[in-house]
Amino acid sequence: MKLVTLMPVVEPEKCKGCKTCVRVCPVLAIGMEDKLAVVNLDRCRGCADCEQRCPEFAITMAKRPEPVEAKVDLEGLDYEKIAQLCRKAKFHPEQIVCYCTATRADEVAGAIMLGAKTPDDISYMTGIRTGCKVECIQPILRLLEAAGIEPKPVPGGWQWYGRTPTAWDIPEHVKQKYASRGFYFEEDIELLDRVVNAPLQGKE
Amino acid sequence: MRPPIAPIAPRPSIYGIDPSFVKKRVSELPGMTSVTLRELFPDLPPVIYPGDEGIVAVRRRTEEALKSVDMSRIKPEHTVNICSSHHGFTLLGGEPYAEMLRTIRDVIEERTGCRNIRLRAGVGLRFRETEEYIRRHKLDEYFHGKARGVAPVDEGIAIETEIGTLYGIKRIYDADWIVHAHNSDVREVHFHRMVDRAVKPFGMSYARIETRSTYHQNLGPRAANFIARSIFDSPFVQDKFAFSCFLTVVPHGILGVDADNDLYALNERVTEVGCRYYGKMMTLFGEIDECVAALDFPCPVVYVFSAGVIYANFAGANTDLFDLDSPLPAYTWYTEAFYGRKGYPLLPEIPKLNKAIRMCVHSYAWTGYPSAFFSEHIPTVVVGQEQAELFNRDPQNLNYMKHAVVSESTESAMEFARKMTGTEKILIFDGAPGGINLSPPLRDFLLAKAPEIDRRVEQELLPKWLKQRGVAAQRATA
Repeated sequence: MKLVTLMPVVEPEKCKGCKTCVRVCPVLAIGMEDKLAVVNLDRCRGCADCEQRCPEFAITMAKRPEPVEAKVDLEGLDYEKIAQLCRKAKFHPEQIVCYCTATRADEVAGAIMLGAKTPDDISYMTGIRTGCKVECIQPILRLLEAAGIEPKPVPGGWQWYGRTPTAWDIPEHVKQKYASRGFYFEEDIELLDRVVNAPLQGKE
Repeated sequence: MRPPIAPIAPRPSIYGIDPSFVKKRVSELPGMTSVTLRELFPDLPPVIYPGDEGIVAVRRRTEEALKSVDMSRIKPEHTVNICSSHHGFTLLGGEPYAEMLRTIRDVIEERTGCRNIRLRAGVGLRFRETEEYIRRHKLDEYFHGKARGVAPVDEGIAIETEIGTLYGIKRIYDADWIVHAHNSDVREVHFHRMVDRAVKPFGMSYARIETRSTYHQNLGPRAANFIARSIFDSPFVQDKFAFSCFLTVVPHGILGVDADNDLYALNERVTEVGCRYYGKMMTLFGEIDECVAALDFPCPVVYVFSAGVIYANFAGANTDLFDLDSPLPAYTWYTEAFYGRKGYPLLPEIPKLNKAIRMCVHSYAWTGYPSAFFSEHIPTVVVGQEQAELFNRDPQNLNYMKHAVVSESTESAMEFARKMTGTEKILIFDGAPGGINLSPPLRDFLLAKAPEIDRRVEQELLPKWLKQRGVAAQRATA
């Protein structure tokens, strides 16, 4: 869950229409009109990526008049199926997968069960990947893959490019080659597997 | 009683409060003192900076180190990217790192005739941070308009590695040659565990979000830094890699400059220096039984440091961060991830944060790194409503102030902490060069413990740490 308290404000006289903000926005909330950036505030999740990357410093972040809650309510969803999806993607259902918003794997799985098909859908619904914008793309892609969904990156966008290897994908010869250099592949897999299969703690 | 050491000054930044709001440094409070690191560990080697020679020493040592580097493949018509990272600019005010970067540029031009030399400066999670440093140190002028900050959300480039496709930042690699200009300060031991420390930026500040997420979510706490090695070893990077040049950093200053065409040879040297000297400081801090931690440095909460030890590592100093037999430190993102919905770890053996930190007084520290885990698990007092509001506006820290209280002033915050915790041991994370600002009871405690820590690290821990990493002990110096 994320409480969205900020919104971007574009200064038209500074915007040069370079589309950097369009390319980095994780929820695809920015478009161009008459060569100027225009933000769809209903979709924006206040991550400030546009503000941080605008080469012209044409965007500032302001407080929203009313905060907006981005949250998938797991009530009414089949939690057993949610847990299965998380564990198939090698996550404990209660594992935190976004350190900024404290979004847990089960909320992402819930978004997928409610119809999310892409990382931007999931960010829009849960708020994940709208804090630092850096660390949580892989859990999203792994959970989508576990659900049998193969999203395609936005053409020309820089939002994300693709799923990358996990501990379970490391080839045996690579593990052997570097075993004496401080990389504890097998031991970490054993730890991660135990976390994935640990009991649920339940509601807060 | 030794007076406190002048701490690193507050710095204007979009990630911190205006320096005018920093009314009082914690070290200025009555009764504070300092201890030098060489008082604690007399065998610490002499440093070149801070020193009598000033910043000139960094230029001289960089020039000397680069004499042994082969630059013959760089031709006058080529392009060169000197790749750097934000972290270097946080060391001793940033000027030593900036001067090393300037010198590398000058030596390349002088030896190769190449003039198209760019500076690329990667970041952590504060995408404009190196833009600020470039301006502050006038590096764009020095690089003739060719200095640029890059961020992990910028346009990427696929890199094929022996474990699969990973992604780098396109502007890092958009030259014929890249030079890896970094430093050996250990900083995030909780993440890299001092395994391939020198290689890390290839998986982090030079990398796209997909790669960095792989590091922090896909591989595990002791395998994570393999991402950096797999990118560095890729044919794509090897075809462009020219050489490395590092500030060799120890907890009390700059030991020297090291440069090599062979990054792994350099890595072995900095691994030993890091394990030995930072290992002693962290092990000593792990002995502290109770204290108030005071944050007072222009960096995000986790990165404020004392004696080269960042707050994030002090929060995990109840475990041996260098010991790879221990899978999870008390703080790392994998550990944080493994706290369940009821607020305790999913596995019973996952260590909790350092109980010796009875309270944290956040007098001055920046936003730009998700830090709510700390305020959630360590009682935290934030000084000033301006600072609290700044955290409430940071997309990475919307939950930080949910768990912290606000005090009007540094004086009242410290008084509150003393009364509530009952301890007179105060450890200040203000980057004091060459020493530690602290309270007299903690100074006496550390001085009494240090000799035994020195023996334990040299005779028991260091041999184990180096063996775990396949590094031969050489007693390396710069």
